[in-house]
Order: sequence, then C-alpha cells, then structure tokens
Amino acid sequence: MATPPAAAPRAPSSGAFDVAEAYTKLLAEDPDLTMPVAAIEALILGLANTPASTVSETLDLVSDLTARLKRSVANPISLSAGTDLFQQYLISIFQKPSAHGDFDQVRSHLVQNGRLFVERAKAARETIAGFGKHFIRDGNVVLTNGGSRVVGSLLRSAAESSNASGRGSIRFKVIYVVSGEDAEAQENIAALRERDIPVATIPPTAIAYCMDSVTQCFVGAEGVVENGGIVSRMGTYQMGMLAKATGKPFYVVSESHKFVRLYPLGQRDLGIEQNVVDFRTAKGKESEDAKEDEGVADMDGASAAGGKALSGVQEAVDYTPPDLISGIITESGVLLPSAVSEELIKIWF
Amino acid sequence: MAEPAKEVPKQDDEKLSPAELKKRAKAEKQARRAAQKESTGAPPGGPPTANGAPTGEAGSNQQSKQGDQKQKGQQQKQGGQDKTQHKRSGSQAQSQVLAHRRRPSQGGAALQAAVANSNVPKEPKKENKQVELFSHLYTQRRHTVEGVSKDVHPAVLALGFQMSSYELCGSSARCVGMLLAFKEAIQAYTTPLGTSLARHMTTHFLSPQIDFLKSCRPISESMGNAIRFLKKLIVEIDPSVEETEAKAFLCEQIDIFIRDRITVTDQAIASSARTQIKPNSVVLTYANSSLVSKTLLQAHADGIPFRVIVADSRPLYEGKNLAKTLMLAGLEVEYTPLSGIAHAVKDANLVLLGAHSMLSNGRLQSRVGTASVAMHAHQADVPVIVLCESVKFTGKVALDSIVLNEVAPSEELLLPQPASEASQQSAGEDKDEESSSSKVKQLGDWRDIKNLQILNLMYDITPAEYIRMVICEYGSLPPSSVPVVHRLANEGV
Repeated sequence: MATPPAAAPRAPSSGAFDVAEAYTKLLAEDPDLTMPVAAIEALILGLANTPASTVSETLDLVSDLTARLKRSVANPISLSAGTDLFQQYLISIFQKPSAHGDFDQVRSHLVQNGRLFVERAKAARETIAGFGKHFIRDGNVVLTNGGSRVVGSLLRSAAESSNASGRGSIRFKVIYVVSGEDAEAQENIAALRERDIPVATIPPTAIAYCMDSVTQCFVGAEGVVENGGIVSRMGTYQMGMLAKATGKPFYVVSESHKFVRLYPLGQRDLGIEQNVVDFRTAKGKESEDAKEDEGVADMDGASAAGGKALSGVQEAVDYTPPDLISGIITESGVLLPSAVSEELIKIWF
Repeated sequence: MAEPAKEVPKQDDEKLSPAELKKRAKAEKQARRAAQKESTGAPPGGPPTANGAPTGEAGSNQQSKQGDQKQKGQQQKQGGQDKTQHKRSGSQAQSQVLAHRRRPSQGGAALQAAVANSNVPKEPKKENKQVELFSHLYTQRRHTVEGVSKDVHPAVLALGFQMSSYELCGSSARCVGMLLAFKEAIQAYTTPLGTSLARHMTTHFLSPQIDFLKSCRPISESMGNAIRFLKKLIVEIDPSVEETEAKAFLCEQIDIFIRDRITVTDQAIASSARTQIKPNSVVLTYANSSLVSKTLLQAHADGIPFRVIVADSRPLYEGKNLAKTLMLAGLEVEYTPLSGIAHAVKDANLVLLGAHSMLSNGRLQSRVGTASVAMHAHQADVPVIVLCESVKFTGKVALDSIVLNEVAPSEELLLPQPASEASQQSAGEDKDEESSSSKVKQLGDWRDIKNLQILNLMYDITPAEYIRMVICEYGSLPPSSVPVVHRLANEGV
C-alpha cells in the first residue's frame, strides 16, 4: 500500500499512512538525503496526511509516528536525532504566544516549511566542505573510512579548491579504508581520482601500518552524542584510538542536525542490539534461545533473520568517545567535542 | 529613640570581638616566637614542654568568657526581655547538640588536662599546630552562643549548631535547612520605622544570620546559591508592598525554590540515574550521598537486581548510614574501607558519586577520598557518574584541594580508644599502668608531640577526566558543560 503522500493530503485515518514506508522511500529516492532529514520529512508528510486539530493531538501524533518509525529500523540512533529535533521544534512553536492565534495556520506553515528544512540540510554539506577544506594543506595525506557523503564532498571541494583553473591547487593524497563492497566509497574514490588526487585503498587491518604516513583523519558520523562522542560505522573507534596513539588529529565531519540526545557510557550502552560478538561452538550458537529473544524487538519486518546475521558487522556501528576527537566540523563552525552538549542545551532549554 | 539604644550594644559587641581576636593573635605570635627560639636554641631531644600553653590559653579564654558574660549581663539589663528569650532558647539548642558532638575534642581536653597535671608546666611555649599550606582554611567552629549577634533567630541558632556538629550534614540538606530556618526568621522580622523591607532586610537582618551560620561551619556552594537567590528576591521587592504581603511572598518563593531546585530535582535525577543501573550490575559508591541513596533505592524498588559496594572512610563513617539504609531496604551491600578501593573497583560496573559542588572547570568537589575512588575507577575503565543538582554548580574553579576546602577539627581524626582507655584506667586499673601510658605518647597527645600536625580536610577535587557523566536536572552532561548549566540555572542567563 504505497500511498503517494502528496496525492492524499488528508487521509481519513492515521492507519493509512505508513511512516516507515515513507521514510525508506524518501531515502531511496534521494541518495543525498541523510537519515535524520529523511525522518523529519517523513514526519512532516505524516502530519500533512493526518488531521489533527489541537496542539496535544499533534504532539501525540508526532510521538506516535516517531515510535513507529523507530521500531521499523534496526538502528534508530541517527533517525532519532531528526525526530527529536522536530519534536522540540514543534513544542517551541506551539509555546510561542503567536501560535495561539490560528492553529491551522501554524500547521500549514510547518508542512510548507518542511521542504525548506530539507534544502537547508543539504546546503549544510556545502558549508561544511567550505570550513573543512582549510584543514587540508599541501602535502597532506588524509585518512578516511569511506562511505560518508559529507566527508566525500569535503574532499572533493578541497580537490577543486578556489582557483579559477578548476584544477586543485592543494596537492594532497587520500588513503581510503575500504571494507568489502562499498558503492559509496568507490564513487568517492573515483571522483577524487578524476580530480587528479592520488587515492590508495587499504583494508581496515592496515590502518595502524599506514598511520605514520598520515597527517590527519576525517570521518563521518551517524550521530554526534551529547558528550561530543560519535556513533559511526564500525571501525571508526579503532581508527580514533590509533590516531590518538600516534598523535594525529582526528576530525569528525557532521551536520549539526545529527546531534542526538543520547549519552552512551560505552559500546554496549547504545540502546541497540548488534550481533557483532557471536560465540559459537561446533554445535552451533551459544545460548541460541537467548539470542532469539533479543533480536525480536528490532526485527519487525525490514530484515529477515538470515540477512541480519550477515549484515551484523557491515551495518553495525560503534561509539567513539570524545577524548579521541580533535574537532567536529559542522555547518555552524568547527566545534570542540565539549561544545556539542552546549549546543544541545541551547536547543532543549 | 528606641533605635539607637538597640544599636549601641550591638556595636559594642562587634568592637569587642575583633579586639579580643587581636589580643589572642598577639599572644599566639609571641608564643610562636618563643617556640622558634626554643627550637633553634635548645638541644634536640630535650623534654617537650608545650604543656603550659594550652592551659594558659584556656585560662585566658575563660577570662575573656567571664568578661563577655559580664558585658552580656549589662547588655541584657539594657536590652530588655526579648533578648533573654533569644539567649535561653539558643543555649538550650546548644546543650542538646553538645551532648552529641564534643566527644573527641572533650576527650582531647581531658587528656591535655591530665598530662598538664602530671607534668609540671615549665614555660609557656606553643608550636603551631596548623599545617602551613592550609592555614587560610582554618576556622574555629562555633559551638556556643557566646558573642553571637542578638539578631540571630533561634531557629537559625539551632540550625547552626546542628551544622557544626554534623547532625545536619550534606550540601543539599544544609541548604534546605538553612532556607527553612530563614523562612521562620523572616516571619519573625519586622521592618523598623523609616526604612523599607527591601533596603533593610538583607544588610541588617539576613547578614547576621548568614554570618552566624558561617561561623558554625563554612557554608556550601548550594547555600551560597540559595542566599544569592534570596537576596535578589528581597532587593526586587517593591518598597510600597505591605510588609506581611512581602513576607508571605518571600516564604512562598523559598518553598518554591526548595521544591523546584532540590526536592523535585532530586526525584528527576534519581529516576534519570536509575536507568544507568543495568540488571546484574555492581554499583560502587563512596560515603553517603542522599542522591545516590535515592537512586539506588529507586532502582531496587523497580525490581532491578544489582549489588552495591559502599566504600567508606574515617572520620565521619557516613557510608555506614548508607549501607544500613540499603541493607534494610533489602539490597545486597558490601561495605569496604577506602583502603580496599583498588580491589573493589575490579568488581564494579558503575561508580555513582555525590557532590559537594561542581566547579566550572568540570571538576568535582566532594568528600575527601572521592578523588581516589574516581581515579581507581578511571584506571579500571569503570564509568564514573556524578549526581548533582544544578544548585550545587558554581562559577569557581580549582585545580587542587588546597584553595577551596574546609578544615575540620583535627580531634576528629584521633582514634576514640585512648580516651576510653584512659577513663577505664582511671576508673579501676592499677596505677603503674596509668603512669606508663602517660609516658608513652599516643596520637591523642599530638599537641604535645613536636613536629606533628594533623590535617583533617573535608573535601577533595576530582579531575574532570575521571568523570564520564554528570547527571543534573537538565539531563546528562559531560563535565565540560557544567559552566553552561551554571549560567543557565544559577545566573539566569
């Protein structure tokens, strides 16, 4: 039941609108869209599709949609950054005295401005690239771990640079850490090589080996957590540790809408279940039934059991604590990890 | 003309105490100089002869006391009835408290007296028993109403003695106690003719109360923040507002402050911190924090199976109370001395700590010993979480435990045995043992032992790197965000 959201602006019941489907569709349609932004867009579509006439009804609806959306994906960390932001934004407009005038007006304003928000989020990537390219100088060797769109655009913009000839004036090299088949990384690598930037690819096992020839590291993030640490694809943490051990700066590149109200104390405190460590004997898995139990919550429909085990390490994330991070490059400037919590407090209080 | 009559004795009082202080300081200086001469001049290993000094000082003290009392008597005659009332209730509170408290120092005094009696005092000489590095922190804690301003309300008097005797202990408990006492005091306040409440109350009424509390025990950060809040409220009261109305407003605001900043906040923090306790985990804590206790009890009430290790240390043994509370609630508790901390952290999955205050550089000021618990936990990669209301956040910054701290009476660190032994011996044992015990110097005789100083610090500073998370009512923060929340919560920016 693929309800084209635009076609039915006022669907009769909220049941008819599948927020999870809208979310996955949005992500599939636009490869440039990040998860938090897609989540916000899906929520706005949901709002537009469902009649709600009071403030509390709207808030209830949004939190209901959020819950359903979170349940539909295995790792809702990145997504929740967007939904939290949206919820907080809603509350803040409803609290404004002007909001009391005409509720419908506020609502339609919200729905119309959804698009604007998405545009801004996309533009943020360009701004970040503008800030970030100054971190790359002649003769630098940049280490990155593939896949991140915003790191890709940063490197591309550094390669293009500012002079009129189009060819980059900064001569730098890139080492890409690639694990398995990674289409996005391949695309980024091709784009850089196109621009005369020498790129080497290494497996994750070779990071420590290359570290002495590296001048700085750039990584992307799925979410930037409250203490300034990041949740990012598996392997980022070890890269951060190795960078710290060798004294190389380790920069995180992330849009500020990825700041998420989560405060993990360690790897197992992310609030998601990842079957990364999977003990087995010749007879099979250790404590088969216990595993099954844990998996149920986030297996609603998206992934089959077989696919899940395979995607275990591929899609898994890890948490990099803030003391390994030298700086976070966002569209509002380059922040120290400790400033993240400040930004979040600004949004929430 | 009632006003000047009231003013005069008070001024007199104030004048006298600095003069007295000066005299005492002079005497002390002389004694110190004499001691220096002695130590440089006299051959080493000479008989310790410091006994004269304490008795001498006590004598002078007594004299001054008598003088004071005489003065007071005169004042009373002048001052009239309400003053005697004040005094009576104050002294009642004091005697109650003293029964609990004074034991160690009294024991010390008894010993001193015994030693002084056995050895004939030769010359008045006194070694400085204050540790030089911490000399700015030494304060005399008040246990008597002697020399207290007549404006101090009985409720505040009682509170002060409760604080100096540790009956009321803990930063937030003291803050609440203070606010409640101030509420009573405000109700008893009347604005003198010719001035307004907003102008008069802070300087002439509240200040003596605060000064008295400070003289009982240095005030905590939370109390400082609460006082700042109260003063701001008072100053902002419109002078045209009726007095009763203004007083009712102040009391109401104080109640709201207690509710919003402490009571409800505590619940919020406890329920937020509760989520950090995972099933089958082991939680380590140090001493006794009301917030930690609340959190653990709530987690237990929610049916989470977990174990608690309570580390504790001398001289206050606050952890005993916590261990008892948790035990009675049905929790599995392990009680360990601070010296066993290196082993205790090996079992722990989580360290929960209370706070005296959070400093603006993210460091934690808490009961002495906390820093070593946090250091061991950090070393063992066990997350350290600090539970702290934002009312305890401060704009101050400290790098070590020297600048901001409180020195408690050294007598508290003495072991209780010598005093009891002495009393037993004097009660029934044979005499030769008693004489031998008087020859062998024990820690109780530290004032007579040369080159021995006892330092009893109340707090220490835990570096921010050891703290993984601070939980306050604004949510979970890294320690680096303390100044942001402080500005938001305490300075209203």
